[in-house]
Amino acid sequence: MNFAQVLNGLALGALLMILSSGLALIYGLRGVMNFSHGALYMLGAYLAYEATSSGLSFWLALILAPLGLAVVGAMLELGFFRNLQQRSHIETGLVTFGIALVLNRLIIIVWGDDTHPVSAPKAIDGTTSVFGTAYPTYRLLIIGAAAVMAVALVLWLRNSRVGLHIRAASHDTETSGILGINVDRVSLIVVCLGAALAGLAGVLAAPYFSVSPGMGQSILITVLIVVVVGGIGSVGGAMIAALLLGLVQIMGNVWLPSVAVLVPYALLIAVLLWRPTGIAGKRV
Amino acid sequence: MSSTAPTVVTTTDDPAVAPPRGDGAPGRREGRVAVGLERRAVLRALAVAVVILVAGLFVPDLITSSYYMGVAADGVVLGIMAAGIGFLAHRSGLISLGHTAFYGGSAYGVAIFTTHWGWSPTTAAVVAVIGGTLLAVAIGSLVIRITGFGFLMLTLAFGQALYALSTLTSLRDVTGAFDGISVVFSGESQKVAGLTQAQLGAPDTFWPLAWVCLVLVVLGLWLVGRSRFGVTLEAIRENEERARFSGYNTYLPRLGAFAISGFCASIAGVLFALKASYVSPDVLGFQLAGDSLVATIVGGFTILIGPVVGALLYIYAQGRFGDTGNLELYMGLALIVVVIFLPGGVVGFVTDRVVRLRARLWRGRKGAGS
Amino acid sequence: MSGPVLRAEGVTLRYGAVVAVDHVDIAVAPGVLHGVIGPNGAGKSSFMDALSGRRRLSGGTVHLDGEDITKRNVAWRRKNGMARSFQKTSVFNSMTVRTQLEMVARRNREDDLAGIVSAFGLEPYLDEPCISISYGLQRSVDIAMALIGKPHVVLLDEPGAGLSQEESVRMLDHIRGLCSERDVAAVLVEHDVDGVFRVCDEITVLSLGKVLATGKPAEVRANPAVIEAYLGSQA
Repeated sequence: MNFAQVLNGLALGALLMILSSGLALIYGLRGVMNFSHGALYMLGAYLAYEATSSGLSFWLALILAPLGLAVVGAMLELGFFRNLQQRSHIETGLVTFGIALVLNRLIIIVWGDDTHPVSAPKAIDGTTSVFGTAYPTYRLLIIGAAAVMAVALVLWLRNSRVGLHIRAASHDTETSGILGINVDRVSLIVVCLGAALAGLAGVLAAPYFSVSPGMGQSILITVLIVVVVGGIGSVGGAMIAALLLGLVQIMGNVWLPSVAVLVPYALLIAVLLWRPTGIAGKRV
Repeated sequence: MSSTAPTVVTTTDDPAVAPPRGDGAPGRREGRVAVGLERRAVLRALAVAVVILVAGLFVPDLITSSYYMGVAADGVVLGIMAAGIGFLAHRSGLISLGHTAFYGGSAYGVAIFTTHWGWSPTTAAVVAVIGGTLLAVAIGSLVIRITGFGFLMLTLAFGQALYALSTLTSLRDVTGAFDGISVVFSGESQKVAGLTQAQLGAPDTFWPLAWVCLVLVVLGLWLVGRSRFGVTLEAIRENEERARFSGYNTYLPRLGAFAISGFCASIAGVLFALKASYVSPDVLGFQLAGDSLVATIVGGFTILIGPVVGALLYIYAQGRFGDTGNLELYMGLALIVVVIFLPGGVVGFVTDRVVRLRARLWRGRKGAGS
Repeated sequence: MSGPVLRAEGVTLRYGAVVAVDHVDIAVAPGVLHGVIGPNGAGKSSFMDALSGRRRLSGGTVHLDGEDITKRNVAWRRKNGMARSFQKTSVFNSMTVRTQLEMVARRNREDDLAGIVSAFGLEPYLDEPCISISYGLQRSVDIAMALIGKPHVVLLDEPGAGLSQEESVRMLDHIRGLCSERDVAAVLVEHDVDGVFRVCDEITVLSLGKVLATGKPAEVRANPAVIEAYLGSQA
């Protein structure tokens, strides 16, 4: 087994980490599992494709796509989550499931259902030598970006006032409201941020995985598993679980391909049955 | 999910049950009928079922287009699975994304038993249904302790794990991996319920088998829902703590409901395999899991036939929009609209309107008469 | 049956660092109404949760009819003689009164449901879904469900909560009557101190999770510690 496999695992884990952080944030605050997260990721990827095939720089897409997704997130929050607060979480989850179906299809209507490769920016399109192995530089960017995002997010949640509000509101929405925290505003920030992170993951993934019509659906299940295993609502837990799952999946493919594909499910089942709060969860 | 949609207005015909009311309402009440299955209600239901059963057998004569006949047949098969999903959702409040495990599992069972093991198709069908139900008991025993989102994820995980197994190249000899398995009838008796494989494959000759199964399944679910077991389930769904504090253990009843719904899905899976004569991983896939759940919800599961209607709508839409690929779009929109605005689903909405219309007419008549 | 029907020793319940119930003992003989009172935060409801099995004990034991039931789950307890009602009314909203009472009766082998129904005045409402009757009646249903099947001991958590003064008085009288009639022991947590002193045979006063005093109403009333801590100007 070579080091490149480990790095691939880290790269996948990195993408999952970015994706799952957003999902965990939204779940922690709203209690809703956003089934459209995969579609948001897909939208980000397709926006990157659109940008690069129109001649815009990839770096620009890296900034614009998350912003665009943040707008979509705002629409989700204002249009749906806010008005469905009285409904059960499952019902709202089902609505997001419907949104995913619609969004998935709209993307295909706009961009067609072929798979399109997206080229990485020229500057980092080569390979770098990492501990003696030649490894695609672009994927190192993914890992690096995820690491930066993780640190920044955790620091921001811990140290900023908004971060404090988010953590408080996630913990106890009612009390936070009474204490003067504008839960609606915090919600909006969280959902926009979560969507933006999904978009960011999509942009980063585009050169790695190419854009394809099934990408939203295929990553959704994995990221749901990551969030549940990591501890529902816990961003840190999701991050750890993401790395773990990325590594396990890639390396499992090398060692025991038959079994590897079952590992995420086995992990999910084990966690939900024996430790429903997940690895680092604050609540079930 | 909203389950306080008014049930169909019923008569309480047991004199000991209905105390005199002063407002002149002639014994008609909304709300649940007394515990247990009263003889008269059951016999009446059986009579209705027989009538519907016989009437339905004439459908192939009414539908001349073989395209629409195919839609009806496929819709009924999916409807049986959807009825099971809906039963679980309504009686236990549990939403499942994993019933494909039992549907696909028994479908594969039929294929493996007939093609690889050479069993007669009838034996294969029966054993596959039993096997699917046992699988439901096995999976249920683990997942039924968890509710809500955890339950959804667990059923999804089990269902998709089975899908993954069906695609493994290492198991190609058994499952055919992505290529699937054809169902080859062999053995002495190559008929199921008197139908040859060719007849099973043709919608209008397949129809009687599917229709009979549907009517029996719906009748069975109705009886279970009205039985004491059904009342227990409802109590557990409504106020689990109170149910436990009233002396009811919640594990076994829930497991029973899960097994029953798995049984329905197994029957549907077997019917599918017999009709299509070909089984592939699609019967276990996430697409079908999601689609069948959406069909159940859009149809509405507060009423037993809601999911069946939803399934028929889905199959119809699949034919209509499948080529353009916009099926998912409309499904998504339908799901959003139904969840937000029509908690009882399409069927629940319609029956609700009918009930209200009747009530208004009755009141109108009463007012005009007095 | 000799000896107390319900005996709990050293019952302790902790929520993290907070000790809600601190080594509380109680013994109740058949047919006895035992009131539990105390200021807010005294741990009364937690004590009920501990006795009824709703929460696992951090320490201590609970014996029912001489048998150690500390580890038993709530469904088992109900079928074997220990029932409870809830401070916040807990009934089956969309089921009719009749259906839910019959449901409990079936499980707990009650043969005289009509008696309980008439004791609480529920006849006219039997076919109403619980959600459409008044709160007071829902409360009655809650408590009626606890009394079905002749449990050996009922734990009633603030039966008068949410009721008017008059309704509360009537409720306590009903309970008193039914318990005597059926030889049922009862532990009654209440805020209505006068009511408790009126109907109960014994009283335990809790304060900050600990037992402050226990005994007959007259003794408890006269206890200086109780007067100081709780009854204050009410005495």
